[in-house]
Amino acid sequence: MTQERLTIAGTERSPEVDFDFASGRFSMRGESYPEDAAAFFGPIFDALRRYLQAPAPDGITLDIEFIYFNSSSAKALMNILEMLEKSAADGTRVEINWHYADDDDTMKEFGEDFSEDLEHVTFNLVSVDG
Amino acid sequence: MTLPAILPSGATNFEYREMLAAQYANFKRSLDEKGIIFSFSGYVSEGILFSLGEALRQKMTLEDADVTTVKKVFSVFVEQVQNIIRYSADRIGEAGRSELSSGMVIIGMQEGDFFIVCGNVVRQDDVPRLRERLDHIRSLDRDELKAHYRQQLREAPEDGSKGATIGLIEIARRASSPLEYDFEEWDDQRAFFCLKVSI
Repeated sequence: MTQERLTIAGTERSPEVDFDFASGRFSMRGESYPEDAAAFFGPIFDALRRYLQAPAPDGITLDIEFIYFNSSSAKALMNILEMLEKSAADGTRVEINWHYADDDDTMKEFGEDFSEDLEHVTFNLVSVDG
Repeated sequence: MTLPAILPSGATNFEYREMLAAQYANFKRSLDEKGIIFSFSGYVSEGILFSLGEALRQKMTLEDADVTTVKKVFSVFVEQVQNIIRYSADRIGEAGRSELSSGMVIIGMQEGDFFIVCGNVVRQDDVPRLRERLDHIRSLDRDELKAHYRQQLREAPEDGSKGATIGLIEIARRASSPLEYDFEEWDDQRAFFCLKVSI
């Protein structure tokens, strides 16, 4: 049975999350400085961990498009990328698209910070009109 | 500056009101003269962080500060206030629920640069470790800060730090000059910690 799609509506301080496990299309967008990062990201980690036990054969595409995230969210995000990296090392096709506004050097640099050491996932830095 | 608790004897209500306004006008003027845009002292919560942060972004955007500067100031503000919320040793309420932490946060402009100062009391026992972390971060150049950030991103948080190190590195990366910090004895058990960041 396919795992139920995980959707979390975005708020002023937490991102919109849409992990469609059936198609392998995942996305996270918006602001991220939730009151309690562990409480916000915990269910996302759990769902992803469960999914990665038997990922879809076509692989995973994750689109990330943040306006701002704080350091607690950064650690959580890295945790998600490391889970995907591990799965990619085991043979899952994983593509990550890191979208950043073309005038936002900080978010571009974050993309470089996060992609370092990721060897098995395809990581694309995608500039969008700011 | 002292504020009279009761109406001074002989003063009419009108005179008292004048004094009241004069005192607070002086207080406000001295903040303005120091270039202070926002100043908050007292118990902070995540709700206060959000509201002050929104006002700060709006104020800077209305005054045409460039996007990169707005983002840097906002990021330092969030990390600083979350440090107060997590680490202030002056707190009331139940841990993890309806808890409030006391501290101060001041945002201003000095010679064209933004600055953010935060202050809160910490346990004296925590001073050496905090000092060590800050001195280490202060000793790093841009590339070393980047490398340190990347390393911390991949590490499990140190015991009891709840991720403080990466927050301080994030602050240092947004700053235009090395972090300034200081401690002052507060009482037997605690010290007042102050961190100033220029952007």
